[in-house]
Amino acid sequence: MSSGLQFYVTTLLVYACVDMMACWALNLQYGVTGLLNFAFILFQAAGAYTAAVLALPLQTANGGFQQYILGLGLPFPWTVLGAGLAGGVLALAIGLISLRKLRTDYEAVVMLVVSIIATTAVSNFVPLFNGSAGVSLVPNPFDGLNVDPLVETWLYVGLAAVAALLTFAFAQRVTNSPFGRSLRAVRENEAAAAAVGKNVARLRLLMFVVGGVIAAMSGGVLVGFIGLWAPSAWLYPETLVIFAAVIIGGRGNNVGAAVGALLVPVAFNEATRFLPQVGNPALIDALQWVVIALLILAFLWFRPQGIVPERRRVFPAARPGANPADRRVAESMAPSGGSR
Amino acid sequence: MAGEELVARDPTTALLSVHDLHCAFGGLNAVDGVSFDVQTGGITGLIGPNGAGKTTALGIIAGATAPTGGTVSFDGRDITRLAVHERARLGLTRTFQLSSEFPRLTVLENLLAAERDQPGDSLWGAVLGRRHWGAAEREYVERARDLLARFGMDGKESEYAGNLSGGQKRLVEIMRALMTRPRLLLLDEPMAGVHPNLAQSIASYLEELRDNGLTMLMIEHELSIVDRLCDPVVVMAQGRIIARGRMAEVRHHEQVLEAYLVG
Repeated sequence: MSSGLQFYVTTLLVYACVDMMACWALNLQYGVTGLLNFAFILFQAAGAYTAAVLALPLQTANGGFQQYILGLGLPFPWTVLGAGLAGGVLALAIGLISLRKLRTDYEAVVMLVVSIIATTAVSNFVPLFNGSAGVSLVPNPFDGLNVDPLVETWLYVGLAAVAALLTFAFAQRVTNSPFGRSLRAVRENEAAAAAVGKNVARLRLLMFVVGGVIAAMSGGVLVGFIGLWAPSAWLYPETLVIFAAVIIGGRGNNVGAAVGALLVPVAFNEATRFLPQVGNPALIDALQWVVIALLILAFLWFRPQGIVPERRRVFPAARPGANPADRRVAESMAPSGGSR
Repeated sequence: MAGEELVARDPTTALLSVHDLHCAFGGLNAVDGVSFDVQTGGITGLIGPNGAGKTTALGIIAGATAPTGGTVSFDGRDITRLAVHERARLGLTRTFQLSSEFPRLTVLENLLAAERDQPGDSLWGAVLGRRHWGAAEREYVERARDLLARFGMDGKESEYAGNLSGGQKRLVEIMRALMTRPRLLLLDEPMAGVHPNLAQSIASYLEELRDNGLTMLMIEHELSIVDRLCDPVVVMAQGRIIARGRMAEVRHHEQVLEAYLVG
């Protein structure tokens, strides 16, 4: 493989890992718990910014051409862990304000507005993260090794893959546990879940924070690789791409979410890059958004369960020798209606 | 009036005691000074014409609706300010007027979702994995299956609850409530919209539960079912209690007849 192709492939692989992490985070929130987090991309952005300013040296060290807070020059694991912490704190703050009293549809509107406000604020308040120009020259964690840049990118693929695998294991354990069942109960019917003792507000807030942490860590992994992060990378429509991926892949199924991540943000967005230019140079880019919206509509209409639907959980049969229970009244409840 | 002593206010022995409940929506006094007790054992019926405030009163007792005045005590403890899930954990569990199953959970999962004290029912417990919660899960599955068999629903355990008939959804809801090991079950028209034959079956299940010692408070419109199951009954109209006592007695109560004829 030529080195150019290798750079291309490694970039795709890192994006695939990052997008899968994001889709698992949104799947836990939206697919499993039913949270309509329309500010999702904000948490990935918060993580990317945090990891960037933790990894970057003081703003004066670069000759002062960009402004940003912190600049601690921390090495790798701390940047991504710090990103997760920032995402969690941000989710807790936003969740406490918007998740407690509002109904789900209002929540979704609030999230969308929060996302837009955040982009505007970060773009215009330059000292925070260098405004609309964004932060750049974020060090790659493997810079210190002084290896060939190609080796460095392959090492980064390994790092991203480990992060993705850990996220998948976590998401699977949560989804398939009794806790995951409680989350699905909340998704299905909040009032009924509360009536059987679930603290609905707490569960929703908890998953808002958990998803925020994972989203932020995915942002942290991404920024370490691409080395820059700016408001144009996390405009509110980007959230819709992740939603499209989870809906198309299969809500409530982590394998489905991964399939969606590979199909929508990776394959679909990448394939359109190779189309020849037709008419206005912005045309294909704009059409891409149209197609994503149409895909969401088409799937919600014709295959709402997605490509890999949520698994129906069938429990293994009782152990032989277990007491057959009393079936006195068993027959009377058949739909045809037994009389008595 | 006759039968009054059966539901006399006596906070020392009553399982549930509501005192001077008020609930106003705008200018409408949906519940207007309601006081009654539910003693341990038996099914207390809460009846009355449409718009009498029965469901609102039940909502206040369950914690879903905030009263504008009055207190609710459960087992001698003031629970007026507790949230729905906190009341459920004390053993005060409700069912709903409209069927409220978890549609995309299987019947068995609907029941398991109500289980308490499952070590895997926390984020940390989930991360620790099946080794941490598998044993408890097996135990609860067995318990849920016993319940399913008792209600004749064992053939449906892996069916999505959303695919069941209306009557079967009611049963799932009652079984799910029973999984919480309630001390008082609040039933809001458990037979509403159900085929009469199925309604009779549900009535027999409730009878069986009553005879096994479960205390229930039930809203019901069908007077023949109230007659069969409930003793005592509390009759509401226009947000107030107009009669209480044995069904046979309140049946002939002038105000009750009037309320039912007018309502």
